Amino acid sequence: MKKDEKTNKGIDRRKFLQGAALGLAGIALPLDKADASFWEAFFQKHFREMNEVEINKVISRLEREYEAKYNKAIKVGHEKAMPGVLFGYGLDLSRCIGCRRCVYGCVEENNQSLDPQIHWITVLRFKKGEKWVDLENAEKYYNPDKVPQDEYFYMPVQCQQCENPPCVRACPTQATWKDPDGIVVVDYNWCIGCRYCMAACPYGARRFNWGKPNRPVEKINPNTHYLGNRPRYKGVVEKCTFCVQRVRHEPGRYPACVEACPVGARKFGNLLDPNSEIRYLIQHKRVFRLKEDLNTNPKFYYFFAYGK
Amino acid sequence: MVQTIRNFFIALRQIAVGDKRYYVWVAFLSFLMLLGASAYIGQLNRGLIITAMRDQVSWGLYISNFTFLVGVAAAAVLLVIPAYLYHFKPIKEIVLFGELLAISAISMCILFIMVDMGQPLRVWHILPVIGAMNFPASLLAWDVVVLNGYLAINTCIAFYVLYRLSIGKDYKMSVIGPLIILSIPWAVSIHTVTAFLYNGLPARPFWNASILAPRFLASAFCSGPALMIVLFQIIRKLSEVEIDNKAIFKIAELIAYAMGINLFLLGAEVFKEFYSGSIHSEPIKYLYFGLHGHNNLVPWTWFATVLNISAFFLFLFPKTRENFTTLNMACAAVITGVYIEKGMGLIIPGFIPDTLGEIYEYTPTMQEILVTVGIWATGALLYTFLLKLAIPVYTGKLRFFSKAQAVAAHDIMSRRMVSVLPDTPVDDLAKLLVSKHLSDAAVVDDTNKLIGTVSETDIISLEVGQSTGKKTSDIMTPPTAVIAEDTRIQELGKVLADRKMNHLFVINKDSQPVGMISASDILKALENIRQE
Repeated sequence: MKKDEKTNKGIDRRKFLQGAALGLAGIALPLDKADASFWEAFFQKHFREMNEVEINKVISRLEREYEAKYNKAIKVGHEKAMPGVLFGYGLDLSRCIGCRRCVYGCVEENNQSLDPQIHWITVLRFKKGEKWVDLENAEKYYNPDKVPQDEYFYMPVQCQQCENPPCVRACPTQATWKDPDGIVVVDYNWCIGCRYCMAACPYGARRFNWGKPNRPVEKINPNTHYLGNRPRYKGVVEKCTFCVQRVRHEPGRYPACVEACPVGARKFGNLLDPNSEIRYLIQHKRVFRLKEDLNTNPKFYYFFAYGK
Repeated sequence: MVQTIRNFFIALRQIAVGDKRYYVWVAFLSFLMLLGASAYIGQLNRGLIITAMRDQVSWGLYISNFTFLVGVAAAAVLLVIPAYLYHFKPIKEIVLFGELLAISAISMCILFIMVDMGQPLRVWHILPVIGAMNFPASLLAWDVVVLNGYLAINTCIAFYVLYRLSIGKDYKMSVIGPLIILSIPWAVSIHTVTAFLYNGLPARPFWNASILAPRFLASAFCSGPALMIVLFQIIRKLSEVEIDNKAIFKIAELIAYAMGINLFLLGAEVFKEFYSGSIHSEPIKYLYFGLHGHNNLVPWTWFATVLNISAFFLFLFPKTRENFTTLNMACAAVITGVYIEKGMGLIIPGFIPDTLGEIYEYTPTMQEILVTVGIWATGALLYTFLLKLAIPVYTGKLRFFSKAQAVAAHDIMSRRMVSVLPDTPVDDLAKLLVSKHLSDAAVVDDTNKLIGTVSETDIISLEVGQSTGKKTSDIMTPPTAVIAEDTRIQELGKVLADRKMNHLFVINKDSQPVGMISASDILKALENIRQE
């Protein structure tokens, strides 16, 4: 009996030591891969709590890290929202042909992971003659030889940049917020990856880095923004930012999806400028917003420029 | 400090040393934990991509288990309420084990949240002050507050009670009474806030029903107590703890009512969803009948429904509820039924169809299941350790080292005494005793060793005049009323009572008398300890 007990304890202890060793290895892993900047990154403050000096320090560290990783200079901007600007978006459903060029234009610009594949824009296909904008019967994975098809219409969906964003309210760490120009952004260095924002978003606009984001060096867009298209990490949430790196850096420049659209279905501008194209179409076209009943107040307007 | 360290080792030893069955059980749980840990290390390396969760169904098995366990933890109050407020004694005696279960369940909840996080090292971002807690806007921030608060309250109550018992004292209601009162609304709050976590999302119509919080509470009051009934039977079988059948049957009766309410609330929800038939009822259609040919959850849902309804009847009738075979069947049915209904049955349909109408069927991967099993094993091991420590304390077998126990004869003895040599004349001895107001004297040899004692009665028993010329050695008695100076206070009383004496001489290790101790000295010391 005594002997049995002893062998038993022996096994137990061995198992325990194995477990401890494995556990330590697990803890050591992130340390192992990172250089001295690991702890600097670990103790990095919330973006909005840093002053200009601290932000610049963080950004130069990030640029060093990215350069070491991609062997290519990557500029990380942190342009703030411009006063008097509130970005709005228009999408002409009567023009959209469902070609998904916006989807891939976005991916080219915003450094999403290619494997696993992340898209910020989803294009939905609806059968004509059935319930109108019936999401329950929308198709996401349509794959015909040619678009547009006569019997379908298409509706791209991306972050609606709500004025009353449920995702921001949900985030337990304030890692996502709405900037004064109306863009909802994410601090990829503050997000804990709990995905409560994804549960809260009524538009399926948020994406999670389930695995390590992979993108070949030659496909990296080096013009980035801290809150936008800079390379992301495993385990954080990301989303459309109306190409914050473009629209704040060069006022007047369009987001990539607007530029990519071959039929001019996508409109973008300043909602506070009474002469902007977006204001014109809101006033003169039949516009609607997705899921108005939820009172999220999106700044993403769908409209029909002409009937058909 | 020394005392604390010493007690820590007493506790450690109590946990580390057990019989063969205990080691086998601990080894088994450790093995499962190891499996879970290795799967989790894989997840840390490769990311949550090793799970079946994706953007469409962004929460899965981990959050399902979390939700179920919050209910188990909350259910500890079901025991606290009758025990303390109505002084229902049979239950009062087992509340401690319920609270230890709550501690284990909350710890598992926290682990399930941790493994679900994409960036677990950043968990401190959620804290106030050092992080950026989004309080009060985010319900998840609320959940962090209430869950940790609940863990703290239950830990305080359980450990205070255990501590008092371990030093041989009863716990004071004036100390834990307010905490116990606080724990009741707090337990309701942990499950309410967890329900609000889902309930408050208009993006998810399946969860966006105000009946969710009451449903959560009702189902928690089924599964938690059912688990406790099973555990109490195991505890009763494996230890000397006596758990009254009355307590078990009373809990079973309470489950019947809770299950009745739970089924009613569920029925109300099912009616509203199916009768109104809006597009918001797609998730519940998916849950009960499947949607567009996708029906992974359907058999599970009906299985849970059948289990819950049959358990309700088993708990309802005194005949089946007070028969241990049917009672245990009912408990197993309720635990399984609620685990399905409130776990995967609640979380997954929230995401199916997703907000853009896509159906992604979620079936957890093996790694996900292993991590989950590992966390359950961790919780079971924690509960095992807590019980291993609590049961002997509760039954009085394990006592911690305390000040009360440390009090010894030399601490409370009186140093006023007389010692005389054996050739001292009795007349001189009498004079000495009178002048010192003492009734006894120690008789020592020339090395000051105690060789006998003399009392007043020994002297007065001599007839008047006969004392002249007699020496102490003629009337002294051998030293029986003697005790070592390091004798503990608990033994002193016994010695006095056994020997029917009023006084004892205290000697040091060289047998030299150093003082005297009386019954009133002991009484005074005991009173002092009690007041401390």
